[in-house]
Amino acid sequence: MGKEEILRSVRKNKPTLIPLPEINLDTFNETIDLLANFKEKVALVGGTIKELSALNEIDREITKLFPNARNIVDCTKSSSLGTVSISDKTQPQDLEGVDLAIIPGAFGVAENGAIWISDDRFPIRILPFITKELLIVLEKKNVCLHLHDAYELLSKRDRSFGVFVSGPSKTADIEQCLVIGAQGALSLTVVLV
Amino acid sequence: MNHAQKAEIFNKDEAKVNWHDKALWYVREKRDTAAHGVKGWEHLRDLASGIKAHVLSNLDEYLITFEKNAQKNGITVHWASNAEEHNKIVNKILADNNAKKVVKSKSMLTEECHLNPYLESKGIEVVDTDLGEYIVQIAKETPSHIVLPAIHKTKEEVDSLFQEHLGTTPSNGNPEYLTHEARKHLRAKFLEADAAITGVNFAIAETGGFVVCTNEGNADMGAHSAKIHIACMGMEKLIPKEAHLGIFLRLLARSATGQPITTYSSHFNKPGPESQMHIVIVDNGRTEQLSREDFRSSLHCIRCGACMNTCPIYRRSGGHSYDATIPGPIGSILSPGKDLTKHSSLPFASTLCGSCSNVCPVKINIHEQLYKWRQLITKDVKQPFIKKTILKMTGKVLSNPKLYGFGGRSVRFILKYAPRFLVYSKLNAWGKARELPKIKNGNFDQWYKEKRKN
Ligand code: SF4
Repeated sequence: MGKEEILRSVRKNKPTLIPLPEINLDTFNETIDLLANFKEKVALVGGTIKELSALNEIDREITKLFPNARNIVDCTKSSSLGTVSISDKTQPQDLEGVDLAIIPGAFGVAENGAIWISDDRFPIRILPFITKELLIVLEKKNVCLHLHDAYELLSKRDRSFGVFVSGPSKTADIEQCLVIGAQGALSLTVVLV
Repeated sequence: MNHAQKAEIFNKDEAKVNWHDKALWYVREKRDTAAHGVKGWEHLRDLASGIKAHVLSNLDEYLITFEKNAQKNGITVHWASNAEEHNKIVNKILADNNAKKVVKSKSMLTEECHLNPYLESKGIEVVDTDLGEYIVQIAKETPSHIVLPAIHKTKEEVDSLFQEHLGTTPSNGNPEYLTHEARKHLRAKFLEADAAITGVNFAIAETGGFVVCTNEGNADMGAHSAKIHIACMGMEKLIPKEAHLGIFLRLLARSATGQPITTYSSHFNKPGPESQMHIVIVDNGRTEQLSREDFRSSLHCIRCGACMNTCPIYRRSGGHSYDATIPGPIGSILSPGKDLTKHSSLPFASTLCGSCSNVCPVKINIHEQLYKWRQLITKDVKQPFIKKTILKMTGKVLSNPKLYGFGGRSVRFILKYAPRFLVYSKLNAWGKARELPKIKNGNFDQWYKEKRKN
């Protein structure tokens, strides 16, 4: 339905070819402290940063941060606190009661505090959204300057589902009052190691 | 009713209008702060505009490439020439899968196609899951802003709506309480949904994937809960390469709300296990707009809403006064292209100050296109004398580059030199309600300069 008609109409109505503009990435280059900027932006978008000197401190930190978390899904294998195991057979409905999901982040972006996570690291796509609290573990060295660099890093990936997460879910739809915790996770903690 | 008459109604509640005006201006200020923090912002805008212009000039090829790559990844691609075809396609996908419960995230396209009433008439339950859209849905209204759908509602109004529909306890409009009640309700809806409908912010020809941006996480909650994901996109959403997302995502949220990026920028490339992913590519008047040289670049729009937040008329007349799916300056260019008779008053709902064009991340010359529509409309539709006179003056300013350049903004010229009756005539409902209330010392020029500083 429609396809040939649409394409015919496009061909009839489109202007003569306009070349694709040249992108000069130098324009966007800055020498800034990537990690410091990233941390600042994560705070700006409502996330919390925790810096650890070693990954094995993570359990202690989690117990401190989320004393009431019972149902924990760990996708990093760096914590021993995981209580719920999931696989690609898990259904979204099974995850309704997840208190905390621990997910490895691929890299962070200094300009906007976003972290790339993708479904090769969490077996069910809904996990980072349906969990009450989201914790992303990120290596300090994996922070890039801006989205142009980010897409360079992503260019070779196996594409399935991936998402930039910048802070916890939020809305300001009621009289422009910012409320943290809309339909996705209520909080975002970024653990830097 | 034309725009001015509807604006007059909106202006009856002075306190609400003042709040609306200020709230949107605040968003505009946040946009400025965010934009100024980006090195090379203007280069980004140039690139975004250039990429969009390029895509439009090669749209057929990109559409074909996109379809091929999407199909390779297991996505089903559908084509719809108009709203009716779009609605039928969506309904057929649902019917084939016996899907009765649908959750939908924000998509101006499905608003444009009036998808909800169509599906409801087929016995399908559709729940809008963006909080603002949920509010307008239960209020049986339409969004009044493309990014802030319920900006026209007070928290007290939301409170009583939620009492009625969700059984909440009266809270004097406590936003936190109300948001969390909606969250509870919507979570149940996500988990029982048979299908999820989302919009598309960007579709990438090179990969056949698409990106959906939300702050609430509602698109993802729906798309990953239900076994069927239907993404509806206007054909102009295409970009050539994934790397171009770097440009558009840097611009979008900053222009929209002043955030550096939306909370979630979700990249969909393949359906999940045991799930279906469909994309419906929609024309619905877009190829016609493509043929109109003067208005073609309106198809660059990435729906950030910045032109609305900055527009003095929009802020004081409210989105509903435009009586169009897309209100505000960009809507006033798009709508007459669809129905000139119905929307002939919209291009006049502007001071031609150019603020919209200044903030537009994809550099659409919005105010110039509005002026072009005016010329066409005055030729086509009979205008009252007074409107013609204003038009002539506006025309004079715009056709004289020196004057225009000197004054910077034609509105300044008109307000300064036009007799009072011309500015505050019937067609300026917003002007009428404002009857120069804030001029101190009777010096209009000084007042205007002060306003410009703020
Ligand atoms: S016309 Fe420009 S400013 Fe207005 S919504 Fe579209 S992209 Fe944003």
